[in-house]
Amino acid sequence: MLNITGQGTAHTCDGVSRRDFLQVGTLGAAGITLSELEQARAEGKTRPEGDRRSVIMIFNLGAPSQFETFDPKPESPAEIRGPFKPIPVAGGGFSICEILPGHAKHGDKFSIVRSCYHTAAAVHDTGHQMMQTGRLFTGGVNTPHAGCVAAYLQGRRSDLPSHVVLPEPMGSTGGNLPHGQDAGFLGKAHDPFVLMADPSKKNFRVPDLLPPKSIGEARLDRRRKLRQIVDSTVKDFEASENAKLLDSSFKAAFRIITSEKARAAFDLSKEPKKVRDRYGMTRFGQCCLMARRLVEAGVRCVTVNTFLTVFNEITWDIHGTKPFTSIEGMRDIVAPMYDQAYSALLEDLTQRGLLEDTLVCNLSEFGRTPRVNPAGGRDHWPQCWSVYFAGGGVQGGRVVGKSDPIGAYPAENPVGPGNVVATIYKSLGYELETELPGPSGRPFPLVDQGTEAIHELF
Amino acid sequence: MSSTHLNHPGSLRSLVTLLAVVSALVSTHATAADQPDNQPDKKTAVGKLVILPGEFTLQGSESFQRLLPGLVRNGRFTGTPTGKLEWSSSNPRVVTISDQTARPAGNGQATITVRHKTLSATAQVTVSHFAKQVAWDFRIHVQSVLTKSGCNGGACHGALAGKNGFKLSLRGYDPIADVRTITRQNRGRRVIPNDPGRSLLLTKPTGAVPHKGGVRFEEGSREYRVVSEWIAAGHPAPSDDGPRISRLEILPHDAILQPGSSQQLVVRAHFSDGHSEDVTRWAKFTSNNTTVADVDDTGATLPDGQAGQIGRVSVTGHGETAIVAWYLSRNVVASLSVPYANTLTGDTFDKAPRSNFIDDLVLDKLKGLSLPPSPQTGDAEFLRRATLDSLGVLPTPEEARAFLDDTATDRRARLIERLLARPEYVDYWTHKWSDLLLVSSSTLKPPSMKSYSKWIRDHVSDNTPWNEFARDLVTARGTTHTNGAANFFVLHRDPADMAETVSMAFLGMSIQCAKCHDHPLEKWTNDEFYGMANLFSRVRFKTAPEGGDGNQSIFTTTSGELIQPRTGKPQLPKPLDGQTIPFEALGDRRNHLANWLVSPQNPYFTRAIVNRVWANYLGTGIVEKVDDLRLTNPPSNELLLSRLSGFLVKNRYDLKSLIRLIMNSQTYQRTSRITPGNEEDRRFYARYYPRRLKAEVLLDAISAATGQPTAFKGYPAGTRSLQLPDSNIASRFLSTFGRPERVITCECERSDEPSMVQVLHIVNGNTLNDKLQSKTNRIGRWLASGMPDYRIVESIYLASLSRYPTNREMSETLKIFAGTPPEQKRELVEDVLWSVISTREFLFNH
Repeated sequence: MLNITGQGTAHTCDGVSRRDFLQVGTLGAAGITLSELEQARAEGKTRPEGDRRSVIMIFNLGAPSQFETFDPKPESPAEIRGPFKPIPVAGGGFSICEILPGHAKHGDKFSIVRSCYHTAAAVHDTGHQMMQTGRLFTGGVNTPHAGCVAAYLQGRRSDLPSHVVLPEPMGSTGGNLPHGQDAGFLGKAHDPFVLMADPSKKNFRVPDLLPPKSIGEARLDRRRKLRQIVDSTVKDFEASENAKLLDSSFKAAFRIITSEKARAAFDLSKEPKKVRDRYGMTRFGQCCLMARRLVEAGVRCVTVNTFLTVFNEITWDIHGTKPFTSIEGMRDIVAPMYDQAYSALLEDLTQRGLLEDTLVCNLSEFGRTPRVNPAGGRDHWPQCWSVYFAGGGVQGGRVVGKSDPIGAYPAENPVGPGNVVATIYKSLGYELETELPGPSGRPFPLVDQGTEAIHELF
Repeated sequence: MSSTHLNHPGSLRSLVTLLAVVSALVSTHATAADQPDNQPDKKTAVGKLVILPGEFTLQGSESFQRLLPGLVRNGRFTGTPTGKLEWSSSNPRVVTISDQTARPAGNGQATITVRHKTLSATAQVTVSHFAKQVAWDFRIHVQSVLTKSGCNGGACHGALAGKNGFKLSLRGYDPIADVRTITRQNRGRRVIPNDPGRSLLLTKPTGAVPHKGGVRFEEGSREYRVVSEWIAAGHPAPSDDGPRISRLEILPHDAILQPGSSQQLVVRAHFSDGHSEDVTRWAKFTSNNTTVADVDDTGATLPDGQAGQIGRVSVTGHGETAIVAWYLSRNVVASLSVPYANTLTGDTFDKAPRSNFIDDLVLDKLKGLSLPPSPQTGDAEFLRRATLDSLGVLPTPEEARAFLDDTATDRRARLIERLLARPEYVDYWTHKWSDLLLVSSSTLKPPSMKSYSKWIRDHVSDNTPWNEFARDLVTARGTTHTNGAANFFVLHRDPADMAETVSMAFLGMSIQCAKCHDHPLEKWTNDEFYGMANLFSRVRFKTAPEGGDGNQSIFTTTSGELIQPRTGKPQLPKPLDGQTIPFEALGDRRNHLANWLVSPQNPYFTRAIVNRVWANYLGTGIVEKVDDLRLTNPPSNELLLSRLSGFLVKNRYDLKSLIRLIMNSQTYQRTSRITPGNEEDRRFYARYYPRRLKAEVLLDAISAATGQPTAFKGYPAGTRSLQLPDSNIASRFLSTFGRPERVITCECERSDEPSMVQVLHIVNGNTLNDKLQSKTNRIGRWLASGMPDYRIVESIYLASLSRYPTNREMSETLKIFAGTPPEQKRELVEDVLWSVISTREFLFNH
């Protein structure tokens, strides 16, 4: 959006001419520097041919049981198969658990990987790190979230940020470790925009997206000019990551404030009530709807956190004991809400012709123990679980990998977190050998050398 | 390829061995590919040649010791010499050398010599028990193999549920249980003494039968031999009086290395029976900062085809890192420095100003790393910084004018004294300790919360020595409404929770891992955790007889023990590495804990508080993060931390004396501006590190700069957010800017990172905009007084940035004033004030 010819107007992607506040700020007395030019390029000033792919990453915090979702084991003993029955999906590709009937209707659109596993400690946080970034955090190397990598590699595609997290970042899940939901070593300038609000609430609006009525466009513009006078006096902050970040946050904030299109993307009141109801008037349902709107408006990656914590909330974390969730809580509350929203999202994306270029991946940090525990729940089990993918080049109706007869270990085609994240990169069209600047400029390939995407999905 | 590792192990080795026997002379080529060995060493660069270890024993025919040749300059190991090395043994019938490894040939003593150009060095070796039958010990040898091969890792058989029906203790912390599992379970198929090769313990890890965990070691490897010979010997369980590990040693433990170089490390384990072994091959290595140096932990072939070597460090960048080696539940750390590529003269450091020992020690560190210090900051910046760091408020415009007019040479020292005597000092530190001790009405009834807060405030106000503060807290009794400290126990009723909290708050370290198993990164064992927790098992609660909302009485009884789940029995009460007390000992066990906790002999206690105070002023802890003190996360400047700790002990834990020392140092008074060459410094204090004001301080600063206080429901008008006793007060501003909820005892709960959401709140949010528009703020007063425009601009800068505007700032701003009609002047002044408050200069302490 940066107009480097200095014509005084700029064009958004949809061709609408408007006053561009950013331009005023950047083309101040100092003129344009080389780094600003580079930044303009990195921010995706032009939209290259073929840049159409997006990702919606639905993260099932808490970690669903593979047995009660996508890898039912009806032939196994009762203490393993659990209380529910399998049902076949449309297209007949495979069977899933009966508590997800909406999914079953779209079984021709998505494909399951039943042999996902990781080898780190069985705490939620490590799985969050690995499944969103492809690597466990060690030696001070915090690998960025895949969506932040997209933001870094391709920059913005519209006035909206490249990567948006809905509704909030993951909170405490017990480990006090980072969750891998930010830009890590790429620097906070590439962190996602986080909504910090519940779009299913009656008076929902994105906090602070609009200036107060008393501050019109002209005053906003004047404030920015004045700010430039003071900030150019002190140029000694270059070595502070946080100061650099504040600077880039200002630029990004002004961009979003001044863009009609950006604001509209967050406005769910523009959707017919029927559509909103189809997704379900739940936090997760409305976040899925907003994800679709954001992708439509040019956001590269939307991460939707199904839940924010595992404590005192009904989630996928079915230990069966307080403050966690029971298997019935999952059946009666979690699964219906989730099933409705996901099936609505697939339908909606299909009808709008967006699914082809939008990878929808549903991930979680681990699976659950094969044996039902004495409390009737299941505990953490990173040795084997299921994840699934739709759109963005992925073919539907397939099962990749296989677990052993009791769902305890991968029996065929084991898939690690690196493979999952590599699959996202493949869908986005990135070469896996692409190097990112790690801490102190040390190069890191997108995924560890030799890690491949799950080719069977495509 | 290690520069000193023989690169043709096949034919050359046999030749070499032969030579060793015949002539007692071995020569190996150092193969540093990028450094031709005909390059002459500069005369000044030549140091002393050494062999590490310089003296050692080899016990039994199977023992060996890898030898490290190195150059020592100014007392520090500086890497392996490049070029040809000649090794010799004074008695090849005692010891021979091949592959740079000493191996025994018979009992006796010998001297090993290495020659490099004109330099030479020796090592003394004693060989004993050469003829004694080798007996592998489960606790030492077999367990090492199982651990290094990953068998008992958390992802494999060390998982809580084991794997495929085979469960080992995590990283081998319970050898007795492991032997039982291996020898008794699975119908004895795991070990077959009369035909060890058929044992599952060998066929699985070698891949002879399908193994989900893959091939862990090869048939015929040393690992294989250890396990098979132990099985063949009848798989003996470790005896109670068998050798235990008593000490772990890493060589070199401290080194200066050059970028792009590599260096082999050696780990030696010393055992309770007096013998020692080279255990490098079985140690687990990690680097704390892989952007400085990486370490090979697997010995796997590298992507470029080079052979791997366990324990070999490759330098990847500049700065410092610790290499941690773990072996049999012990850790040992090697510190590595890689100087920055700056060419500096001695004057850079010799002529740098110094106020006290802090500056000497920081400059020594900077000199060693070739990092130039930034010069002293200006008065305006120092005033703002010192006031924000000590009081959490901005200097008033009047204070700014007065300080900037002061020309006395001791003006900074006098300012520091004034600040330490101000009432806002009490607000600031009360708030700080309230974060740490979790004062919040979300978990405590309001009267209890208030009494807890008051207890902290009274102690800060009295400048109670930190050791007394801690003692009063951990031994608190009485009712929660009258003795606020008693609430500490209400918040942590579970003895295990209390053990963790005390450790976190006062020792700056997490012992949580040890609750379930021996701490993998620290020395704390599961037994020690429960010994510590059992000190709190006799604390009791009851409703206070005098009544009151949520008023509880805290007291101790004379019975009750905490059961350790692993053993089903209580542990003897014992503060981490302190002395045990008998179960039947009378009196409050917490007194025993307190005595240990605050004893000057307890190194963690003093270091933790010194580090917290230091981080408050310098932005980055000497140990970073401040809640992560552990052996394996060493300080960036050990000498500085220990001298400061000694200073605090000598000054009887008077925190103000420590603060005074820090604030008067030149280190604290450096500018935040970069001096060429120190851009990359984040840890060694070559300059002051700018950081965003924390949520409460920022809100108060905005209130002060606009002259419009923030209203908090239930608190008198004018209360600053830093004065609020409670974190459970709704404030969108404070939560957006990272105020902690006071749920977790950890400074990491607070976030000082800027974000776009925060910026949106500054730009569009009601906090700043409402204050600017308020009819009762500074702007109204300025305009009403008829102040000239330049004076208004000046006042805005002084109130916000504690400095006068520059000429350019003044003239450009006045230009806009000139072009604005009078009826829009109020809006313009609002906009100017907004523009100053929204800058990095305002939002940051710098």
